[in-house]
Amino acid sequence: MPHALRPTRARTGAALAAVAALALAACTGSGGDADDAATPRDGGTLVYATGDAEPTCLDPHVGGNYPQALISTQYLEPLVGRDADGTILPWLATAWSVSDDLLTWDFTLADDVTFTDGTPFDAAAVKANIEHLQDPDTGSSTGYLAVQKVESVEVVDATHARFHLTEPDSALLESLSQQWTAMESPAGIERGMDDNCAAPVGTGPFVVDEWVPQQQVTLVRNDDYVPLDPQAEHDGPAHLDEIVWRFIPDAATRYAALRSGEVQVVDNPQPDAIAQADAGGDITHVDAPRPGSSNRIELNSAQPPFDDVRVREAFVRAADPDPGIETLFAGTATRSYSPLSSVEPTAYGDEDLFTTDVDRAEQLLDEAGWTTTDDEGYRTKDGQRLTVRFPVSTNQSVAAEQSLFEQIQANAKAVGFEVVLTPSDLSAWYAALGANAYEAVSAPYTKVGPDVLRILYHSDGTIPAPSGYFANHAQVKDPALDDLLDRASATADDAERADLYEQAQQIVLEGYYILPLYDQQNHFLTRGVTGMRTLDTVSTPTFLDARLGS
Amino acid sequence: MRAVAPVGRAVRRPWLRWLLARLGSAALVAWVVATVVFFALRAAGGDPTEAILGGPGSQAGPEAVAAARAQYGLDQPLVVQYLVQLWRVATFDLGDSYARRVPVSDLLAEQLPGTMLLAVLALALAWLLALAVATLAVRATGPVGRACAAALRGAEVVAAVLPHFWLGAVLIVVFSSTLGWFPATSSGTDPVGLVLPTVTLAVPVAGFLGQVMRDSLEEAAAAPFATSARARGASPVGVLWRHTLRHGVLPAVSLSGWAFGSLLSGAVVVETLFGRPGLGRLLLDATMQRDVPVVVGAVVVVALAYVVVMLLVDVAERLLDPRLRGAAEVPALVGGAVRAAGAGEPAVLG
Repeated sequence: MPHALRPTRARTGAALAAVAALALAACTGSGGDADDAATPRDGGTLVYATGDAEPTCLDPHVGGNYPQALISTQYLEPLVGRDADGTILPWLATAWSVSDDLLTWDFTLADDVTFTDGTPFDAAAVKANIEHLQDPDTGSSTGYLAVQKVESVEVVDATHARFHLTEPDSALLESLSQQWTAMESPAGIERGMDDNCAAPVGTGPFVVDEWVPQQQVTLVRNDDYVPLDPQAEHDGPAHLDEIVWRFIPDAATRYAALRSGEVQVVDNPQPDAIAQADAGGDITHVDAPRPGSSNRIELNSAQPPFDDVRVREAFVRAADPDPGIETLFAGTATRSYSPLSSVEPTAYGDEDLFTTDVDRAEQLLDEAGWTTTDDEGYRTKDGQRLTVRFPVSTNQSVAAEQSLFEQIQANAKAVGFEVVLTPSDLSAWYAALGANAYEAVSAPYTKVGPDVLRILYHSDGTIPAPSGYFANHAQVKDPALDDLLDRASATADDAERADLYEQAQQIVLEGYYILPLYDQQNHFLTRGVTGMRTLDTVSTPTFLDARLGS
Repeated sequence: MRAVAPVGRAVRRPWLRWLLARLGSAALVAWVVATVVFFALRAAGGDPTEAILGGPGSQAGPEAVAAARAQYGLDQPLVVQYLVQLWRVATFDLGDSYARRVPVSDLLAEQLPGTMLLAVLALALAWLLALAVATLAVRATGPVGRACAAALRGAEVVAAVLPHFWLGAVLIVVFSSTLGWFPATSSGTDPVGLVLPTVTLAVPVAGFLGQVMRDSLEEAAAAPFATSARARGASPVGVLWRHTLRHGVLPAVSLSGWAFGSLLSGAVVVETLFGRPGLGRLLLDATMQRDVPVVVGAVVVVALAYVVVMLLVDVAERLLDPRLRGAAEVPALVGGAVRAAGAGEPAVLG
């Protein structure tokens, strides 16, 4: 009888489970998890679980995306660093000076530094790196743009490199602080792209040991590390023996693995997991918004209906994102009123421009001639419906953000906008943008420093790259704004630069080209580890000072 | 036993014809799949060149874009690119991945074993579960037994419609986060890590196989040959093992080919959920990036694996059901199941 068998099966099940639990304990016990609660100690293996896409190449010169920046922070170092105030700090370059015309930059390099393959770090290595970024065969995108104004690098002597620029670039140091222009061994580069993608060679605290695709990259400690990181909290090589960098795409799985002790650090956690960590317990939350732009909805000003500033303001006044941001992100995201990330000291915001005012929205739409409504309740003008095509990248917009867009869709409908949300993968999404088939889009942009404003809002940014991509999605073409951004690029004076960027941000905000939402969310949860800190450049974590134990 | 009666030579030729037909249809499947995938991927929007230059949204310079297009033949007309891709499939040279810059065959060789291991384990577990549930349900007697059987029937239906992503998430919460028995992630052949992904994949298939098995077992148990076996004094267990089980499992064998296909497609979800390397995740990543050679290569290989499995299913059916051995035409899934119901007992047919 089936029911008669049940108790036996239950006992068997319990026994099996006990065996499995024992086996699990035996497997994990050897890893040293047993003394999780012990005080911080040297050595051991830290497991980092990333939800960002697995890089197709570990060399951030190639392409150049955030996942590459994350992992390469452990093995490659930049010429300069940056602190929270935006001050540039020495790193592999110990000092620098610039000519009055901002066209010639002299860098003094750290002495006695070698790459982990034994190649010396010197001026020739700097030259080789810039040339690698500019070589079409490298296929660099982010790093290529960062050093676009560098004409050549002159090797003055072993410890002095001179950069010659084609035009002034006040953002050069910020650009060189990014992981996408970090220094690699020239001998490593000469091995060819295949080898260099598999294991780039740098000067960082860890060395790439093994890459098992789709699973993990193993990084081992660089015992000969010369501590140059300007924000290091200790002198000497890393405490950890090893970092295992695992690729776990699902956020819930990463969180479960963190709670079960399989991993010690996760990135891209879900808002509810962040809120739980903030509420207390043994999980620590690190909030490190990415530099560059804020997350904002850009309104395409190059074509109807958003070629009319009144319609743009009407959309912004009706969108009412605050309640959605508060609930959907469980209080983990702060509303922004600026085009720039809050980590940029030059960020300027104006809350008054963005207060919700449905009556004003209705009035503006009436004034703009959208006075008739069709049988579905949407406003029309000359037989055209007030439609906003809004392609949504499901790779970049997390679930909470997609829900927020749906709320905005509903809020805008109340004043007569038809918002058509089209979720698509990254390739199709970029294709839609390239084809100008959008009226609104959310496309965050990560870059160190306020120069990102030039990329996003200068009229040059409406000219597509050869791949079809252009960064100025709001399609702002304002000569006054261009002038401010050009002058900001060409000034060596920090105060003047900050003032010019503030004026530029005012134009962007007052023109209602964008609806700022919040910073580019970049959260980390850690458990059973201390000493992880994030760089004030691209906000990636470094494990130089990290130790297991709490 | 009709089919076995003719002379041996007559039996051999249909087998050969059947095999040639199978090879021909495999080639046809490969061609159709490669064609559909190639054009669907190109019609989905996005530029494969970007996969070479750091992914979608690349801002690489004009020289870099031109170099990449030339190197991978993306400057050729679409038809030429299609023919090149087709030629590669035909010659078993799948080309190089745009994004990873290594031969697609290397990527597949790297990821296929892990996915196959998972699929085979899941199929085995699904069979065990289905068999256990079906035999228990069929043997149930008395009011309590019938209630249990009804409950099992309900459980089968529920199991068959459970989505992998939901089931996997629940298993992670219960057995990893709460009980801590199994890790939430899985890699390689680590047996402890394989448990949850295998169960996630197996349960829906088990529900489906279980329903089919139970139906045919019940049918066979009611058949005259089973009655006569019982009348001869055979024990219920003896009847089950010696007589009805063979009939009961035949439709499930036929369905196993389909089940294997569903396991391979389920692997996309399960591998992503458990952070497990494999063909499913490779395919997902490559599709996102429009890495055409990888997507075409992976889908063709999966399709051919499916063809091979269907071939094995045919052979297994013929071994289990002697009447099929002489049949020239390949039995259809449902046809096989119906014919199987009374295999070896002509009295039941009709």
